[in-house]
Amino acid sequence: MSGNNNRRLADGSTIADLIDLDRREVQLRTLSDREIYEWEQEKIFGKTWLLLGHESEIPNDGDFVQRFMGDDSVIVARHKGEVFVSLNVCPHRGMKITTQDAGTASIHKCIYHGWAFRGNGDFLGSPVADQCMHGTISTKEELALKQARVTLYGGLIFATWNIDGPSFEDFLGDAKWYYDMLFCRSDKGMEVAGPPQRFVVRANWKAAGEQSAADGFHTLTLHRWLGEVGNYKKDDGESGDLTPEMFGAEVSSPHGHALRCIDLNRKIRRLTGKDPEELSTEEKLRVLPPPGMTGEAFEQLKRNLSPEQLEVMAWMPPQVGGMFPNVLFGYVYIPQADGSVVGSMTLHAYVPKGPDKLEFTNWIFVEKDTPPELREKMVMQTIQLFGTSGMVEQDDSDTWPHMTLTAKGPQGRFSTMKYQAMYETGKPEGWPGPGIVNEGFTKDDTQWHWWKYWYDLMTAED
Amino acid sequence: MTSENASVDFFEQCGDELAIGSEIYNKVLGFYHKEARLLDNLKFMEWAETLATDIQYNVPIRQTRLVKDSQSSVLYSMRHMYEDYRSLMGRAMRLSGNSAWAEDPASRTRRFVSNLAVFATGTEGEYAAVSYLLITRNRFDDDHFDLIPCERRDIVRLEDGVWKLAKRDVILDQVLLGTPNLAIFL
Ligand code: FES
Ligand SMILES: [Fe+2]
Repeated sequence: MSGNNNRRLADGSTIADLIDLDRREVQLRTLSDREIYEWEQEKIFGKTWLLLGHESEIPNDGDFVQRFMGDDSVIVARHKGEVFVSLNVCPHRGMKITTQDAGTASIHKCIYHGWAFRGNGDFLGSPVADQCMHGTISTKEELALKQARVTLYGGLIFATWNIDGPSFEDFLGDAKWYYDMLFCRSDKGMEVAGPPQRFVVRANWKAAGEQSAADGFHTLTLHRWLGEVGNYKKDDGESGDLTPEMFGAEVSSPHGHALRCIDLNRKIRRLTGKDPEELSTEEKLRVLPPPGMTGEAFEQLKRNLSPEQLEVMAWMPPQVGGMFPNVLFGYVYIPQADGSVVGSMTLHAYVPKGPDKLEFTNWIFVEKDTPPELREKMVMQTIQLFGTSGMVEQDDSDTWPHMTLTAKGPQGRFSTMKYQAMYETGKPEGWPGPGIVNEGFTKDDTQWHWWKYWYDLMTAED
Repeated sequence: MTSENASVDFFEQCGDELAIGSEIYNKVLGFYHKEARLLDNLKFMEWAETLATDIQYNVPIRQTRLVKDSQSSVLYSMRHMYEDYRSLMGRAMRLSGNSAWAEDPASRTRRFVSNLAVFATGTEGEYAAVSYLLITRNRFDDDHFDLIPCERRDIVRLEDGVWKLAKRDVILDQVLLGTPNLAIFL
């Protein structure tokens, strides 16, 4: 723990009082206190890298979308080929520069008094500048839209207000090795199927955020229908048991990132009728390519990933997990009724909207060269399982509001969330990947590491 | 990124408008009243029987756009629901099963259907029907209602004397949907 910030909440407690590091417990009040929410805006959403979208949403010069970094609206725009993220607040009197969700404009003109800006935030001028409309006290540079620091990764747009903070690579750390397998595996890269789904859940963003750090256990109960009537239904009468799906390896990160790598052997055995041990990495990837790819795309995988990454991709690829603080990824291999497998690629951002509200933003991806028929199947399947109407995630969105409510009770707020299912295994034998890796049935370590990083940031010196 | 706009042809396929109170109009209106009753009373499998097996069911996303770009305010490249007969049956079965926690305990819903217009189409026995739908949804102790106002653009079909829903596009009025999921049918 690096932090030693002694800032106190109104009742005198510090962040350290809310988290029991030895017992791996977190007080529920973290999900309801407005004060904590406000600190988070500064110390988390003001400091870490945040997912805002994908460059395929703004392919052409002048294209823009409106997104949120914490409670701040920002304009994500393409200007002369580059992506810029500008605070969507007019430096004149604070009107929103754009009120649209998306559009194309070479000049962003504030509708209130007409000040104008370029896609990179540069102040162009005011309509009656000759009458000294923007004065002489502020320079034109000072009147530009505030710029966030931007990075593109696999085409995904990340931004931060922490201008001199850690690089995006440092932020990802060892987890990058695994994320590369998801976001940087094809020659042409991914693209969004369309703009994201957006809906409101009356829950604290961390109820969703900590779950995204690879909560495996909840799948067994909350998503039990998957085994009862859904895609994982067995014909052997053992309806409902999802435990065989919970084996694999989990990757934790000191920066709160998490990836659940789920064993593909059972699927490969079903597809080939062969013992996966007898198949080469290439053979496995040709029969069960990653979501959005076909067997022929193996050559692309070989070009873009290392032999060690290919080995993990064919064996236990990362399928669900998160990126701190508020991103969930699902790059999953879904069994179909006819015995085949169709993948889904989805990313969510759980955007905070006050202590008891979040915006669920859901992007669905395909590879740019995913064949049209497969693409359609993927988009349809992903909409049916994830996001607004997703038969899996509708159960999640009904759970988090209850946690947020219990966290308000005068007794309930001092109840704790427990992360005491601990790994004692270490990496699977022969595992070539970096990071904190543990093998076996899912545990709580990844989520605990998520909270530890939350703690680090919340207690960090300003 | 595709931005095909599947709703454009809906009004193009609308032929003559049927008079309010005419026989077919009343039948279609009755179909909607019955549908609302089935769904509001959680009779999902009975509702599923009113679906044509070739049904297409879509809830496109909305975006806030300038009036000049309003064709982009309804987008099919991403949808909140993108369903066929199989998936709707799957949803109905899930809701009728043991572990559909998003709707167990169930929401108390009421579907108000109004402003119905029915049009002939080029196909015998098929009618285009546009209506307004307001769903009120209440869960647990909530002292508010989630309101889901929308427009349904449907094709209803008379199959061997039985009315079936052959196509539905639901145009939502919210960009940022104010209900935590669409675990209910629109
Ligand atoms: S507030 Fe934007 S020009 Fe005045
Ligand atoms: Fe879940």
